[in-house]
This record gives sequence, structure tokens and C-alpha cells, in this order.
Amino acid sequence: MKKKKIGVYICHCGGNISDYVDVEKVRRAVEDEDIVFLAKTTMFACSDSNQREMVEDIKTNDLDGVVVASCSPKLHLLTFRNVSLRADLNKYTYVHANIREQASWAHSDNKIGATEKAIHLVKAAIAKSRYADALETNKVKAIKSVAVIGAGVAGMKAAISLSDKECDVILIEKESFVGGRVAQWDSLSTTTETGKEIVSRLYNDLIKRENITILTNSEVVENKGSVGNISLKIKKVPRYIGGSCHPEDLKRAIEVCPVEVPDEFNFRLTARKAIYKNYPSEYPQTPVIDIKNCTRCGACEKVCPAINFSEKDEILEFSVGSVLMATGFDSYTPTYGEFGYATSDNVITLPQFKRLIDTQHDKLVYKGKEIKNIAYIYCVGSRQTDGENTYCSRNCCTSTIHAALTAKNKFSDINNYHFNRGLRTYGKQEILYADSLRSGDIYLQSYEDGLPTVTVEGKKTIVKINDILSNGREIEVEADLVVLVTGMVPRADNTIGSLFKIPKGRDKFYNEVHMKLRPVETVIDGITIAGTCQGPKNIAESVNSALSAATKSYSILSKGELETDPLVATIDPEKCTWCGACEAACPFDSILKVEKDGKTIAEINNTVCKGCGMCAPVCEPDAINLIACSSAEIMSMIDALV
Amino acid sequence: MENPIKNRSYDALVIGAGIAGGEAALNLANTGYKVLLLDKELSVGGKMIMLSKVFPTLDCAACITTPKVSEISRHPNITIFTGSEVGNIRKLSDNEFVAKVTRKPRYVHIEDCTACQLCEKACPVNVRDQYQFGLIGRKAAFIPFSIASPKAADIDIDNCTLCGACERACPTNCIDFTMETEILELHVKTVLIATGFNLFDPMNIPRYGYGKYKNIITAQQMERELAPTRPFNTILRPGDGKVPDKIAYVLCVGSRDASVGNPICSQICCMYSIKQAQLLMGALPMADVTIYYINIRSFGKGFEEFYQQAKGMGVNFVKGKIGRISEKENGNLMLRYEDINEGKLQEAEHDMVILSTGVLPNSGIDKLFENEKLTLDQFSFVGQSDMLASPAKTSIEGVFVAGTATGPMDIPDSILSAGAASSEAISYLIQHA
Repeated sequence: MKKKKIGVYICHCGGNISDYVDVEKVRRAVEDEDIVFLAKTTMFACSDSNQREMVEDIKTNDLDGVVVASCSPKLHLLTFRNVSLRADLNKYTYVHANIREQASWAHSDNKIGATEKAIHLVKAAIAKSRYADALETNKVKAIKSVAVIGAGVAGMKAAISLSDKECDVILIEKESFVGGRVAQWDSLSTTTETGKEIVSRLYNDLIKRENITILTNSEVVENKGSVGNISLKIKKVPRYIGGSCHPEDLKRAIEVCPVEVPDEFNFRLTARKAIYKNYPSEYPQTPVIDIKNCTRCGACEKVCPAINFSEKDEILEFSVGSVLMATGFDSYTPTYGEFGYATSDNVITLPQFKRLIDTQHDKLVYKGKEIKNIAYIYCVGSRQTDGENTYCSRNCCTSTIHAALTAKNKFSDINNYHFNRGLRTYGKQEILYADSLRSGDIYLQSYEDGLPTVTVEGKKTIVKINDILSNGREIEVEADLVVLVTGMVPRADNTIGSLFKIPKGRDKFYNEVHMKLRPVETVIDGITIAGTCQGPKNIAESVNSALSAATKSYSILSKGELETDPLVATIDPEKCTWCGACEAACPFDSILKVEKDGKTIAEINNTVCKGCGMCAPVCEPDAINLIACSSAEIMSMIDALV
Repeated sequence: MENPIKNRSYDALVIGAGIAGGEAALNLANTGYKVLLLDKELSVGGKMIMLSKVFPTLDCAACITTPKVSEISRHPNITIFTGSEVGNIRKLSDNEFVAKVTRKPRYVHIEDCTACQLCEKACPVNVRDQYQFGLIGRKAAFIPFSIASPKAADIDIDNCTLCGACERACPTNCIDFTMETEILELHVKTVLIATGFNLFDPMNIPRYGYGKYKNIITAQQMERELAPTRPFNTILRPGDGKVPDKIAYVLCVGSRDASVGNPICSQICCMYSIKQAQLLMGALPMADVTIYYINIRSFGKGFEEFYQQAKGMGVNFVKGKIGRISEKENGNLMLRYEDINEGKLQEAEHDMVILSTGVLPNSGIDKLFENEKLTLDQFSFVGQSDMLASPAKTSIEGVFVAGTATGPMDIPDSILSAGAASSEAISYLIQHA
């Protein structure tokens, strides 16, 4: 090892570190290490002035590398690698130590311990720094094509944005029709446009673009490769209805179909046939046969010549540069008996209520009964104190009040009773709350320890609450309809998430790297997330997130090539005796069996290898090492840590 | 990097260099477009750079903002004009706008200033420091704040007595009183409005006593007291410098209040108050912090958990809107309110009160445009012509809007809105190339 000269910078992080770790003590503890030429503390290592100072220090003192002890590398590893680059050092000579999340924040109750730990962490980083040599990045070709998974509003907007930037898009939708959740809504707040009209507008824009391929009835079943070159296998299930299909024939076919199933699109309020379209202006315009429920009786075939049961599943293959997830959300389904759900006759959910008021006119009727008194119970499935969903679903308050006002304006004699836990009509949406109060709606409030109860007494449904706004008075409402304001939950079906190994946050939605610095990226290179799959949002917020994700997905690929970190595994061909253990251990299929100089050995595919290290411990002859994480480096770090 | 103005045409003009404007500028610049980023303040970074910590992660605001600010200032495709204003924007065609830019002189040659602060020390004039929201003073020759970008001195000519002490003290001779206002005509292809917001001035609610009673400050002022680059060594109340131990937060000051002309919810105050309360519990472990609220709006990702965390830490939450504040002889304050839980009128004594003021629109943005009409919405924020499907579009084609210029927003929402606005602007530039 050559004798190096490094600089060590210990960050106060504006108090986040220095409030618990004595950074000056850490500095004194490391400044005499043999390779440390200078050691400084700084208020904000990432600030412009400190970055400039680091560049100065490196150039003036001819340093070989720097170590910064600060926050998680998730925030500023790249920032400081770039500082090294600007000082004409190879960026892989930079070593990072996390003394915020790993010392100060984890041990805020033990300042002495936190400081000691920080000292060891920095010494370990210095030990690693001895080995941190210049590395060349791998350059891979970046295919200028993005797979957008989900053709709801977020997916469609992302696709349009990418198409504008002359990027090819494969828009993959699992359902038979595009539009996602917004297509299930008609009246929307702040606009006279219906949800279906917005979806139509977006679809009509999409369909004109040659660089967008729309695949419905399709799901990704396999993926290989890594950012820049991801191979996807997509299974496309047939519609069983040929292209040119006369609308009259189709209408007959739907009429004669004997099968009826609950209509998921209408939130199970109605039934549909096995051959169906959700609504007349839906896209794509061809109906579809739900083959799982179809009994193959043949009645439809007799009246419609375009029906073709011999259509087969197709497997399509595409290679893309990055993937944008826009898979949306599910609505919370209340548990059996929750506020009378499934046990009482007239308890429905908010999505069902919205469908009800949108599809009816003159009178609001449910199960044969005309509805006058409506009780809304808020926060069902959100802000749970004894359940997993501790988060707030963000837009249900606004959505409910809008639905309540719509009902009041559309039907006569509607009385709205809002049983809530504090209204969250944030921002300009506050106006809806004010309008609702002015129109005579009654608001009754409780905290989480005094939730309303729903009981059935004979033919009456009584909703009761101890209303804190009237000093705890017990108030009961005889409700014709009880609407449970159900929130957003992550999709129950996580097949696609598991396929791409997308991590989830505390609330089980997909996890972004950092809410402010990297809000649409995931820790998997090349996979971005958009819309409600990341967390509850309204339409405008989903669109903002989708456009940001599109910009990000595109920027990775725009140069036609990208650099991947060379922090991969290497195999010593002298030691390897090909046993296959590493190939079996690799989760990314990046190990190949090759012939080299008459010997069968294993070889790593550098562009696919993620440097996870699963192969290294299973190698008996110890032929595998990780670049920048070699056994020698790790051992020297361990020596510094203990 | 302040480029010398050789080139007077840019692809995009971004008005406002806060986080929304900065993020949008970076996206455009990274795609290869030349951007002119303009701000009327002396530094890039908007309101975010002056904050202490951000909710709900409690990252330090400076730690997140300064690297972005650094990236913006170094980017070869971004030209930054601080202390500058724009006006008379005329749309000539689908891909040409002409704008008048007025650059106010700093009387300091930025490229030679090392921010050594010797001019500050020499200057005899003391005025209230607007960057510390009036908590302390500054000189007429001053560096705006320690993490400003550009980090260079400015001469506040309105308060300067022209004594010349700063000029004499400056080791690089970069102070130049002959500098003049520059007026430039710029040609750009697209405009992005990221002009941010104003905070409600609690002087408009006289019954709260702000300005009259010294120990009532705004949350923005408390933000400075909590920030690492704070003006004082501890948290103190301005009246007598005492460290407070019974602190009250009054929410919805100037929001949800038609009587002061702002009926909407400002969206961020519940969260920033809860954040400050947590930081205060950390800084002053013996202190009592009470938040008087109407409803707690903790709706975003991680927000509800953050609220529960504050409750767990011992922050008191009292449901009741403060009606009136009066002062006792010792500087303590009496808060009068209807306690909803108790069902009666109460009076509570606190030694320091913080008013959580609301978000108001920045005025006059529509006046920047000359021959086309920029529609404002009913609350005087910049109107969004296709609010649901294209929230960044305005009534003028080719002009986009990002961040709190459209309405109250927190930082993550502003950043995503800037991502959307830059995406629309890039699409526009490609279509009208």
C-alpha cells in the first residue's frame, strides 16, 4: 500500500450530529492517524462554501482522497464523490462515514457512547480509505425507452411526457381498459370535467403518438438486466373479441350472456356479464371477455362473428432503459362488522357512495329505499390506533365533503351528518368545508378514543357519538345510509412489486429514496415511482409526481449511455474451479459459466452485477472478492471498529 | 457562477430561485437547455434555506438546500441574477418572449468578494436584519447570511451613509459605489413562474398584540432561533431575553379566516408548528409547549406519525381558537380562548407566544406580463388553466408555474410541482423548437 494523504471532514450537520456527538473530540481522535494529513470539523459539509474549501484543500495539499463523516450516504455520497471529481481525483477514492443515522440519531440518549462510536466509525472509514483506489466506471449503452407500468392518470401523463421528449414508451396495463381509478369517478372537485372525460382526453393524446405502445390485458412476468438495458417479458391475455366488431352485434352478445358477476368497476354495487365494457366511452373501445368467469356456453358466439375463443396468450419481449411504476392504489375494505359493514343493510364505502350519486338522478335510492339522512364516518382504515394503517389518507375528507355537497345539490331533502375526527380539507380545499357548513351540513367530532357506533334497532340504523364540539353530549342520528370514508391502501396484489424488488415504506406504499432530495427514485437503479403507488394523493398531485418521475426516468437515459458503479464482484480465474455455488447464490443472474484457457470457470457480468456480495461467502476456494469491499478492506475496517 | 452577460437570449427564464425555481432550473439545465434564473433577493434558496429543520424527517434544512444551491450555482447551463426583477414580459410568438430585467447594483464586485466580513465590522450603520426577520440587527454593508449564495457582500444603499469605511476596510477593493442599475432586454423561449409566497402579517390582527407585546413572535422568527445559524445562543424571548418555559403556539393566524380576507387553509402551519414544538422540547427539556388549534392537518406521508410522536414527547394540544391575547406586567401573556374539550372560556398564561402565520400569494405576478393575460385564481394565486391534468399550465401558453406561486404547499409538493413544470416546459421547448 502506498502512503496516502487524506483529508477528513467531520460535519456538525447543523446540530443534527453535534448536538449528540462531540465532533471536536472525534476530530482530535483521528487527526493523528498515519494517512490523515488534515482533519477539520464543519457546520455543513454539503454547503457550497465547504465544498469549495474541500476542493481547495485537495488541490493545495495534493491530497489523495477525502473522508466525510456526516449523514447517510443516501443523501450526499454522490455530492462528495463529485467534489473529489472537481478536484481532479477519481471519485471512487472518496469514502463516506455515516455518523448521523448510525451514531448521533441512534444514540441520542447516550452522548458519550455516541461520540465513541463516531470515532470508531470514522477510523473505519479511514482504514477503508487506505484501499480506496481509482476505479473506472462501467459504461453501458442506455436504451432510450421506458416501460410505464399502469395506465391510470399517472401512467398516461408520464407516457405523454416521455413521448414528448422523443423517448419510446411501452405503457403496460394489467386491466382490460385504461383509466385506472379516475375512470371510476364522474364528478370531481374544482372542475366540471368528469373523471371519464379526463381519461378520454389523455387517451386521445396517447393514441396519436407513434412512440407509445399501449398494451392492455398485459402484465410483466419476467425481468432481467439492469438500468440502461432491462429485458422484460410481458404476458398479454386475449380479449377474445376480434377487431372489427359491429356495435349492435356486441350489444346482443352482452344481452344473451347468461353469466353475472359482481361488477368491480362499480364497486360491487351492480353486476355485469362475462362479456363486458365498463362504460360506453371506455378505451380501448373493444369489449372483453372475462375468461375466468365465462362458462363457454357459446351464446355470444352465435350472435357476434367477431368473437374468437381460439385467441391465445401472447408473450411479448421488450428491452427498455428504465421502468416507471404507476400501479396505483386500492381502497380500504372495512373488516366484517366494522361500523356495521357487511352486517348492516345500509352501510357502504365512500367509493360506492360516489358511484351511487353519479349514476342516479332525481331520487337517491339504495336497496329500494329512498335516502334522506346520510351519516359519514371518517377515517375508516386510516389513522388507526389498533391497526396497521397509522397514516392519514390525505384526500378522503375533501372527497367526502364534495360527494356530500354533490348529493345535496342533486337530490332533494338530503341531510348530511359528518362523524369526523377533525377535518383535513387542506389548502384551497377548505372552501368546500365552508360551503358544506353554509349549506346546513352537521359536523360531529370525536377523538380516536371515542369513535362513533353503528347499531341496528329494528328497522332503524342509529349512529351515535359523544360529540366533543357540544361538550361531549351524546348525539344520535337515524341514518338511511351510512357511508364509511375509506382511505387508500397499497395494492393488495404485489406481484409486480416483488418482481422488481421494490422496497416499501412504513406505510407499505413504495418507498422513495428521500422525500425531498430524491422523491421519485427507488433504491433500485432505473426504477422510478409515480402517483398513488408511492402514497395517497389527489389527481393533481399524482400528475405532478408522474411528470417528475418521467423527467427523472428520461434523464437517466437521455445521453444514450450511462455509467454504472464499478463496485462489482470479481472472480480470480486461477482459484476458481467451477462448482456452480456462486451462480446458484446470485439473485440477479449475473454469473456465467465460461471456458477460459481450457478451464471451465465462472465469470461475472459487470453490467448486471449489483455488488450485493451473496456470491462471496459461498465460494469455497475463496476466489471471489468485491471491489471496494474486499476481504482485506473489511478486515481492516473491523480492526478499526473494535 | 455569475456569467458576464454576453448572451442575452436563453431557452428558459425561471422567475424565482427558491426550491421550486431551483429544482425546475436544474431539470431544464440537465436536459441541455440554457436557463436564466432570477431572484429579487440577494441569495438563491428562497424561504427554505432560512429554515431550521424540515418536517417530518427533521433533516436540517440547510443540509438539504445548500447542495442543491451549490449544484445550481456551478451548473454551466444556469445563469443566476440575484437582486434582480423582471417585468414587461411580452409574448412575441409561440417560442419567443421578451422580458425587461432590472439588476439592482450591489456596489460590490461579487467575483472579487471573499466574504471576509471586514466591511461589516467597519460599517457604522445598524438596521434591522430582514434575513433574521427583525430579531437582530445588521450593518448596511453586510453578507446576507452565512450560507447565502452568492456568498458576497451587499451595500444596502437606502441605509448607507456613504461614509466609505467599508471601502477602506475591503482587502480586495471590490466595493464600488459607481455601480449602476442595469436594464437588460432578454429573449427567451419559455417562462416558468416560481415566485413563492408571502407570510401573513399578524399586525393585521390587532387583538393578538403582535408588535405591541414584545414576547409574541411569528413562527418564522422562531425558525431562526432554532436554526443552527441562529442569531442568539439559546432560545429566548425578545422582551427581556429570558429563556421561556411555558410556550404557546397559536395556529391559523391569518388562515381559515374570512375576516382578514383569507378563507383557505395554509396547509403547512400545523406541521411546522408541530416540528418547532418538537425542536423546542429538545432544546429546552424543562419547557412546556402548548399548541392551540382548530384542526390538526397532518395529512401527508409520515405526517400523522410525526403528530403522534409530538404528543408522545409531551407537547400539549388544546382544541380552541385563541380569541385575544393580553400582556401582564412581567411580559407574560394571557391567552383567551374557548376550550372545546372543557366547553368553556379559559385564560391561559404563557411566557412566550408564537403565531403560526399563514401563506398568502405574492402579489403583482400578473402585472409582469404585458400583452397576454396571466389569470389569477379567486385567492389571487397564479391560476392553473388545467388544474387536474396539467397543474403547471397557466392561462398563457408557454408560461408555466411551479411551487407555492399556485397556492400553499410544503417542500415535497413544491419539488414535485417543479418537476412537473420543468417537464411541461421541456415538452414545450421540444414542440416549438
